Amino acid sequence: MSVLADLATPIVMGILLGGLYAVIALGLSLIFGVVKEINIAHGDLVILGSYFGYVAMSVVGIDPILSLIVGIPLLFGIGFGIQKYLLNRAFKISMDATLIIAFGISIILQNIFQLIWTPMCRGLTTSYALESFSAGPISVPLVYLLDFIVAIIVMLFLREFLRRTYLGMAIRAAAQDWRAAHLMGINTNQVFALTFGIATALAAIAGIFLGLTFPFTPVSGMSFLIIALGVVVLGGLGSIAGTFIGGIAFGLAQTLGGHFFGLAAQMLVAYTMVLVVLAVIPRGIFGR
Amino acid sequence: MIPIIGIMVVLALFPVIGVPRVWLLYLFLFYIYLAMANMWNLLAGYSGLISLCPAAFIGLAGYTMTVMTWLGFPYYVGIIPGGIVAALFAVLISIPVFRMKGIYFAIGTLVVPEILRFVFLLWRPVGGALDGGGRGYTVLGVAEVPQSQTYWFALAIGIVSILVMRYILRSKLGSGLAAIRDNDSTAACCGVNVFKLKLYSFVIAAFVTGIAGAIFYIYQGFIEPVSAFSIQWLITIMLATVIGGEGTEEGPIVGTIIVVFLYFLLARYAEISLIIQGIILVIIMLLAPKGILGFLHNFHRLVPASLKVIGNSLKTTK
Repeated sequence: MSVLADLATPIVMGILLGGLYAVIALGLSLIFGVVKEINIAHGDLVILGSYFGYVAMSVVGIDPILSLIVGIPLLFGIGFGIQKYLLNRAFKISMDATLIIAFGISIILQNIFQLIWTPMCRGLTTSYALESFSAGPISVPLVYLLDFIVAIIVMLFLREFLRRTYLGMAIRAAAQDWRAAHLMGINTNQVFALTFGIATALAAIAGIFLGLTFPFTPVSGMSFLIIALGVVVLGGLGSIAGTFIGGIAFGLAQTLGGHFFGLAAQMLVAYTMVLVVLAVIPRGIFGR
Repeated sequence: MIPIIGIMVVLALFPVIGVPRVWLLYLFLFYIYLAMANMWNLLAGYSGLISLCPAAFIGLAGYTMTVMTWLGFPYYVGIIPGGIVAALFAVLISIPVFRMKGIYFAIGTLVVPEILRFVFLLWRPVGGALDGGGRGYTVLGVAEVPQSQTYWFALAIGIVSILVMRYILRSKLGSGLAAIRDNDSTAACCGVNVFKLKLYSFVIAAFVTGIAGAIFYIYQGFIEPVSAFSIQWLITIMLATVIGGEGTEEGPIVGTIIVVFLYFLLARYAEISLIIQGIILVIIMLLAPKGILGFLHNFHRLVPASLKVIGNSLKTTK
């Protein structure tokens, strides 16, 4: 009985953490499903969101979640620009070229962060970031619950957007068969750029909540990218529900890994799971 | 052939004839990065395997060599075992990693050095626990080693890497790899054993890269997990290969010269140096995806043609 109670906290925390991982992975999943690119720079774009929140908090004094009002359009614009001017061109050259260019963007971002904000750990420490709430015998940090709620909101939003708006349907068409979509009069280059913009806007949201949950450094992007890749591959390309389940799976892997093998090993467990997932199910649970 | 041997002899004599020590350092790094870039080129340019895990082989070989010095062996004994451990590791991870196609392979190889970094942060193969954290080892017995010896080891592996590339590209393995790079399903239909050839080049690349890494750590004198498995290795190697020309034999040589030059030019401005490297990577891939050598290959066809056009137009205006 006590074993079960012991496990309850890591399990609950793992599920809630999974919400955060799902939001982080959502942008990546969108790009992968629609544009068929693996955006290696996605992790760093998320951290860009985190640093934006940091600037909003420390320089301007606004609550990071409020700063999203500016953050979302800003990162949307950046993502749109990246796809439109860099990656659309790379696409025509080769698949390898897009990978290498995304890698280059990742390096540039990481070192800009390092230049401006130094390698020191930063965090979005608002007043509520340190509170926890209890339900019965379990006590979890409040931000974990926020992460989970935000994940659900964002996913519902995205699903409705993709289903009901013209752009959403254009995106889904381009994802299914971009040549056919092109023939149907959809400007696929524009759609790809808009998709990347949306994905980066999602990264902005993810970044803020990541910053509230964990401390981050200029190189944190890579760690979260790897987990996001695992989530995307596990959940299946372009499936929102799959990404959610994948996120929870990785959240649980991390917290339970930490519970059984010690805190130092928790990322190791998560990364090993990524490798296993990549080797065993490249198509994912819900994938096409 | 003769001029090349001549160059090699001259380079080998540099430590003896009293060349400035800084030159030896530049050249040392050049040989090490050249060996690694050649191997990355073998995988990415000729086998169609964009491997993002050179750091795994470098770190493992470095640790093997270092651990062996702790077990009482002189430093040079550990170099070959370092390469062997890296090669064995390549065989081991080829089982999961080769199941992944194309882009998934790249992601899979990206994760491997990160996993190894955690492993070596937690595991201490020899020596007692260190107080105050820190997970590194000093390499025993290298303090008195003269710079010329490490220089010659590096020169050796640099030359070996060039010879390996020459030999492979002119062999059946090379033709098979070219077929795989262009289209691996078609290659398989033509009787090419895709898995076996990919494995061969992966293991060879791991071995040579590992040895280069081990030699590097002899020079550096200490090894620790974060820098040993850092993505920085990949950045440097990828940049060198891509600038010079992925898929060309001389490309890595040209690219490595440029990268080492940049490294020392901007050594004082660490973050800006890396930002510039990232920008160069992006610009090169957009404007000259085949690198400098690729650009030149096209250029020497353009020049006579453009001269002809200019000549014709001058004739008609007369």
